[in-house]
This record gives sequence, C-alpha cells and structure tokens, in this order.
Amino acid sequence: MLCKLAWGNVRRARRDYLVYLVTLGIGVMVFYAFNTISVQVDIAGIKELGMRELMGSLMAGMTIFLAFVMGFLLVYANNFIMKRRKKEFGLYQVLGMSRWQVARVMALETVIVSVAALAAGLVAGIALSQLMVFSTAALFKTQVSNFRFFLSGTAFFITVGCLAAIFLVTLVFNLRVVAKAKIVDLMSAGRRGEVVRVRNPWISAAVFVVGAVLTGVAYARLLHDGMPVMMDDPAEMNRFYLTTALVIVGTILLFFGLSGFLLKVLSHARNIYWRGLAPFTLRQLSSRVNTVSFSLAVVAMVLFLAITSVTSGTSLLAAMNSGLENGTPADYTVGMMYFDQQAADARNDGDASPSYGVTTQPLDLMAESAHRTVSTKDGGTKPMTADDGRAYNLADIAGKHVQVNLYSGYSAGQAGTPKPVLSVAALFKMAGASLPTGAGDAALYFMKESDYNRYLVFRGAKQVDLGESGYLITSDAGTSMTNVYDKVLAAGTELKLGGHSLKPVASSVDATLSAFSDTPGGSSNPGTIVVPDGVVDDLNLTLELSSLLVNYKDGISTEQGDAYVTRAGQDSSYDNVNIVQDGHVVGVWSYMTLTRTEVYESANSMSAMVSYLAIYIGMVLVVACAAILTIQQLSGVSDAGPSCRMLSEIGTPTRQVNHSFLVQQAVLFAFPLAVGIAHSAVALHVVIGIVELFGHVEISGMVGLACAIFAVCYGGYFLITYHMSRKVIRDAIAARA
Amino acid sequence: MTTQESQALGRPVLAVKHIQKVYGARGNVTRALQDVSFTVEAGEFVSIMGPSGSGKSTLLNCVSTIDSVTSGEVHINGADVTRLGPQKLTRFRREQLGFIFQASNLLDTLTARENIALPLTIARVKPDEVLKRVEDVAARLSITQVLDKYPYQMSGGQQQRVAAARALVTNPALIMADEPTGALDSKNARLLLESLETLNQRDGATVLMVTHDSFAASYTHRVLFIRDGRLFTELHRGEMSRQQFFDRIMQVVAMMGGEGNDAL
Repeated sequence: MLCKLAWGNVRRARRDYLVYLVTLGIGVMVFYAFNTISVQVDIAGIKELGMRELMGSLMAGMTIFLAFVMGFLLVYANNFIMKRRKKEFGLYQVLGMSRWQVARVMALETVIVSVAALAAGLVAGIALSQLMVFSTAALFKTQVSNFRFFLSGTAFFITVGCLAAIFLVTLVFNLRVVAKAKIVDLMSAGRRGEVVRVRNPWISAAVFVVGAVLTGVAYARLLHDGMPVMMDDPAEMNRFYLTTALVIVGTILLFFGLSGFLLKVLSHARNIYWRGLAPFTLRQLSSRVNTVSFSLAVVAMVLFLAITSVTSGTSLLAAMNSGLENGTPADYTVGMMYFDQQAADARNDGDASPSYGVTTQPLDLMAESAHRTVSTKDGGTKPMTADDGRAYNLADIAGKHVQVNLYSGYSAGQAGTPKPVLSVAALFKMAGASLPTGAGDAALYFMKESDYNRYLVFRGAKQVDLGESGYLITSDAGTSMTNVYDKVLAAGTELKLGGHSLKPVASSVDATLSAFSDTPGGSSNPGTIVVPDGVVDDLNLTLELSSLLVNYKDGISTEQGDAYVTRAGQDSSYDNVNIVQDGHVVGVWSYMTLTRTEVYESANSMSAMVSYLAIYIGMVLVVACAAILTIQQLSGVSDAGPSCRMLSEIGTPTRQVNHSFLVQQAVLFAFPLAVGIAHSAVALHVVIGIVELFGHVEISGMVGLACAIFAVCYGGYFLITYHMSRKVIRDAIAARA
Repeated sequence: MTTQESQALGRPVLAVKHIQKVYGARGNVTRALQDVSFTVEAGEFVSIMGPSGSGKSTLLNCVSTIDSVTSGEVHINGADVTRLGPQKLTRFRREQLGFIFQASNLLDTLTARENIALPLTIARVKPDEVLKRVEDVAARLSITQVLDKYPYQMSGGQQQRVAAARALVTNPALIMADEPTGALDSKNARLLLESLETLNQRDGATVLMVTHDSFAASYTHRVLFIRDGRLFTELHRGEMSRQQFFDRIMQVVAMMGGEGNDAL
C-alpha cells in the first residue's frame, strides 16, 4: 500500500523529480566512467609502470570528494521538493497515517528515484567508459590494439557506495522534515506559496555597491600582492587570507544587493521600465534573487573554483610541455652529484667505512659507467650488467656524446655558513628587477666556456666566444624568469667576480640551448652563468654536478638504446650509486636518469591525468551548480503559477509570459557565471604569471574542450529549465481559475 | 470600435445567443449552460445571480473568453468571440475586457502602480501615458495614496479597488466582475460597489457582475437570475429605489430556493 502511494507520488511529482533524477544520473555516469580509467589504461595499451594504480587511486579519491559535493547539492535539491510537499505530508497525517508511515512513504520515494538514477546512470556510464577508452588512448598517445567491451567491478562498487551514502544523507534530512514539523504547520504550508521578500531598494543598492567595492579591492590586492606560492611567510599568507575573505564577503553582498540595485537603476529608466512585462519581470527577478541570493553567491564561487582550477591545471601542463623539445637535448642523459667538503665531512662522522672525499677535477662519466655496481642479496656488490648479460658500459651504445660540468656558486674552503658569489636576487637587483612572484632566491650555477662550447657542438649549434671578460646566461626556467635574465643581459650589467669584471656578450637567453639533461617538465636549468674557464678556476668554485648527454650510435635503435640504459628485464635497480675515486666516495650517480622517450611518455601521462581530473572535477561542479539553479528556478515558476494565470486573464499573450520567465532565468543563470568568470579572470592573471615559471604558456586546446563540455552542461540545464518552465506556465494558464 | 461608437449605433455591447456548455463525454454529461441568451447595452450595469452550481460562473467564463462554449455565439462589440483563435482572443481580452475577481488577484511582487499599469504596458502604450492613466484611474477610485504600496501592505478593500483600477485602466468595452465583494467586509463591499456605480454613471462604463449577494445586485440596473444552467427570470430596476429593488430581488431569490438568505 505504502509502495503504491510512493510510486504514485513519484509519478505525479515527476516534473519535480526529473531534474533531481537527471543530476543524480549524470553523477552516477561520471563517477562510474572515470573510475574505470584504470581498466581503460590496460585496454588502451598503456604500459607505463604504476600508471594504472596511480590513475585508479587518484580517481577514487576524487570521487569521494565529489560525492560530498553531489551529496550537499542533492540534499539541497531534495529540500526544495519536500518544502513544496509539506501540505501533502500533513494531509497524510490528518488522514490517520503515523509519522513513521509517512516517513516510509518518503523513504520509498527516495529509493525509487535513486534506483532509477542508478540504473540510468550506470547504463550511460558503461557506454561512456567504452568511448573514453579511445580518448584515453589518444591522450596517452597509444593505440587501442584489441578493443573489447568491459565492465569494472571496482568502479561499480565505488559508484554504488557513493550513491548509497548520498541516499542516506538525503533520507536523514527528509525524515527531519516530517519528524519535526507540526501538522498544523504542514497543512498551512501550501496556503502561502510564495513568501514575498521585499528589501528596501536603497539599502539593497547600497549593499550591492559595498559588495562591488569589496570585490574590487580584493581584485586589486590580489593583482598587487600576487599568490603566495611558498606559503612560508605568515604575513604574506595573512594578506592572502584577508583578500580571500574580502572576495567571499564581497560576492555574497553583491548577490544580496543585486535585486535592489537592478530595481533602483531600471525603475528610473522610465522608457525601459514601463514597457510590456518589464515591471513584472524585474520584480519577480528581484524577489527570486532575494530568496536565493546566498546560494547564487555559492554557485558563483564554485564556478570560479571550477574555471580556475581547470584552466590553471591544464595551462601548467601546457607550460611544462612547451619546453619538452628543448628540454630533451639527448637520447639519454645521466648525471652525478659531487660532494663538497661539508657534505663529505658530515658523512665521514662516526662510521669510518666507506670514506668520503672531494674531487677538484670532474670525472669522466662515460668511463665511470663501466665501473658501476649493483648490490647483491648478501650485502655485497657486483659489477652491473646490461640487459644482454654483458658488462655494462655506456660506450657500447653511445654515438655522439658530451659531458658538461656545472659549478656551484660557492667558492671552496669558505669557513662558517658559505655565501654564494652571486645569487639570483642579487643579479636581478643589479638590473633593477625583483624576483618574479613565486620564485625563490638561490645561488646561480657556473659553467666553463669550454664545456658550453662542447655542448653547443653536440647540439649542432654555433660556438660562442666570450673573450677575456664576457659572460652568458643560460636558463630554461620559463618566461617569467628568462625575461628578467634578458633584462640583465640587455642592460649590459657588469659582473664583478673575484677580480674579474665581466660584460654580457649576448642580449638575451637562448632557452633552446640551455637544457643539460632530459627532464620531465622541460625545465632543468634555473640559471647558469657561462664564463671564461679562468674565472671558474680563480674563484675556486666547487663542482656541483656533471651531466653526460648521449645519443645512441648508428645501428642502435632508440628501443635498443632505451632498453640498454634502463636495463629492461633486470630486476635490480641502480641501487649502488657511489662513485669512488682513489678510495674515497666523491659523489653519487643521480637517481633520475631518463631517456628522451621516458620524458615524452611521462609528459603525455601527466597531461592525460590532469586533463581527466580537470574535466571530471569541473564537470561535477558545473553540473551541481546548474542543477541548483534549475531546481530553484523551476520551483520559482510553479510558485508563480497563479500570477501567470492572472497575466493571461488580463490579456497577456503566453509568448510574452514565457519571454518574461526566459529573461529571469537567463539573468539568474548568467549572473553567477559572469561573477565566476570575472573572479577567474583576475585569479588566472596571477596564476598564469606563476605558471610561466615553468615554461611558455599557451591556453591549450584542452581548456577549450573542458570549457565546451562545461558550456554544454550549464547551457543544457538552462534549456531544460526554460523548456520545463514553459510547460509549467502552460499548465498554470490552462488550470481553471 | 469603441463603446461610444456602438452606443451611437444602438448596438448592444454584449449579445449572448443560445449558448450551451457541456462538460464531460458520453454517458457522463453535465449541462452547465442550456440555451442561454441575453444582451447588455452600452452603459448598462447588469448583475447575474444564482445559487451555487447554477452555472453563473461558467456563464461569465464563457462570456469573458476564458472558457469556450459548446455551441452558440457570444458577440462583444459586434465581434463573435467564439470564432476567434487563441492569439486573437488574448488580444481581444486585453483590449475589450476588464476583469475583477473575488480574490483581488494582484501580483504580490508588484506595487499597486505597477499592477494597475500592467494591462497598458502589455499593450505597449507609451510609458508617459501609462503613468498618466494610472494616476487618473487611481484618483477616480480614491487609491492614490496606496499606489506605491505592495498588496500585502493594503487592506482587502484597497486591494479590490486596485484590482478594479487595473480592470478599468484600458477603458474596456465591458468590465467583468466575478463576486467582487465576496472576500470583503460590508463596509469595504459598499465602498467598492459605490465605486463601480460611479464609474458606470459618470464614465459610462458597462459592467457585468456575477454575485450571489442580493445587496450587491441591488446596485445594478438589471438582474439576470440563472438556475440549473438556464435563464430563470430577469428583473429591471427602472425607477425603483435601491431598497425597493433589493426587496424585489430578495423575493425572487426566496422563490428560487432561498439561496439569498445569507445576503444581509
């Protein structure tokens, strides 16, 4: 009996439930589809180690967060539906049903809708996940070799689990409505459908202006202070928190005052205001805005978050990838770090074996590679072998190769806390520039002219001649850094280093000839000064690192070379990294040795991951916002039913009534979006500046795709709203007076 | 064609010819109106009385083009409204008819001024003229002081007069009032009726009012009694005083079945 009642209710209130159902269905679809990514990774033929697990756990974690967002949205949406049905629930109780029975009817209704959404969402999700395999393959730049239909149990359980949680929360809130309310309140709830909220337009307009000013101040502060990237300066963080608080309060006030402001401005424009349904449209709009101003502000902030995170995430990637070609100067690079005296002393304390020491001359890495060892199970070491079982020696596969040596900015033999001979900030100061937002101060590296010229030959570029007193700056650290270096060079800044006085021989940094190793992210050189060999010797600078750049020799394919250097098929990693000279450990092989292939693969995976996350998060947030707006508007339209009927009776064409509601809905959809976009534009202006530390920024196609998906979702909800409200209006007008 | 023109031609503003209204279908038919015919001349103040369920509201709905008739013709200012399409009907309602309802039916979110102005702004009258005409009609109905108030800030009587003002502001050929005093106390009911009477006498407005209140009916020139969907009889006030006319109405009401006992 109760089931029948609940079923009937759902059918009768299907218009109310439709948006709820669609939104929940989209949620289920997206949850399921994105959680199958770990399975898709297999089918798309992505062999990268750990990618499957990484993507799987990232998506699962994100799903839980998004389920929370979705849960709040649906509780809110459901509240709207329940509020409108209070009278009905009162009536059930008057007719003798117990609260418990009413609660059960309500729970059953929620179950019916949730199950319907789950079923529809899963079917759509399964379909979407099959399609996504191809986009996954495209994003990871692989081919789908053997496509098969697949289902994912894990994704299914995560989705059902999230839905169940959302369902329970919704249920608790619904039961509260029934349990708490008095029958008399429930019964009279329907009598006054629309609570008229009129605020003093003068005060409202003033509130709006205050909101606009606060927002403007926050914008100005953000543009001036920038984003605190280091997060280690409490004063800077406090300034940022204050700016955040200002923009939040400003946004809320903006929406609280919006209606009054609109009315005040437009009612003075006689010729606009006293035309057609304009007074009705405006008053109705202002009443709606007053009722839901807080949630409009929330929607604006959430849209802002969605736009900003998606755009900055994808543009960060674009920035990193833009340096990819320049950032991979060789087929394979391997580096080593030297110990300086302090590091060696620290390691020699206590334990006597092995002994650590310092070398003043760079090692020959090509030769050293033949002496590499790996640990054995009994704690000893044995010579490293290549994947073919022969002794490991890079010379076996190396064709053209070059070794560059970087010196730290510190002179050897300093007592106490060492001071760099030149730091980035000190250099910038000479050119009258300051560090870009988000960049920290550090010592600069130095390189000998002879090393750099060997490197240039390797890269097939023209050699440079620094003469007696010339210098160059190399860096691939992104445009916001290189721009300042360019300034330093262009200004002809003179460097006084250990009795030498150096002048720049170029007016700008050549970022394409600045990468000394294959690096994911495309940026490995924050700033290196190339000076005549004698300057390095005179300053007695300590060795920092050496980097060996190797191109595979003719007859060794990239696959063969990659397999050789990564020692594919061997279970042991490069775990014994010490480099010994004359009985002392003078340095270590760097753990991160990468092939060009690996850098490209990891960049692709990174893009794929960030793109998916961006679309996933953004889509759920946008759908949630749009659904809130839709539900609010539709309930507003049905509350306005009697008004529509009256308008029709005094001779308003239905077209004009529809148009009035279209305008109202367009404003209510567009305004939060506009505010969100405005916030984002300002925030992104700052964020892009930081992103440029990583490379050249281009708004990528991914942002376009993401925006297109969001626009379709948001616009889709807007169209649903308009379409459904036309029906509501038509029914209201047709209803007998 | 304006009211004055049809007056000059001696043509009735409203001519209802043999209208029928049938609800339901096969086997379960309700005849709400059966062969009802009457006319209303320009400048007349006519009321329709009848017990609950007699069909008086259906009659008003059919005449006011809100509902359609099953058969018969309704001519307003010479045009047969039963033959107009929905778009033309809307326009017709806007230009020729004014409505006053039992519940004042004002829009909650609009001020009195905006409520009254609606029919004019919908008809795309120039803003300056809209405001002037609203002021005029408000003065005639003594509601100038509430023009900038919202409906919830007004008394029931004021709301009803604002609704009347909204009906009148377009200078309609025919004003339709459906139980306009139904929700008012006797003092406010009297004020409203006097306003309608003044409008009728001074401005020559043609009013058709449905009521079950004999007191309200006694303000009019002529009362049509309707019962079970048929015209039962009709009373002309002629030279009678309002009190005399009221007594005559009460007699008919008593004869019809004592439906008017709650009138005073």
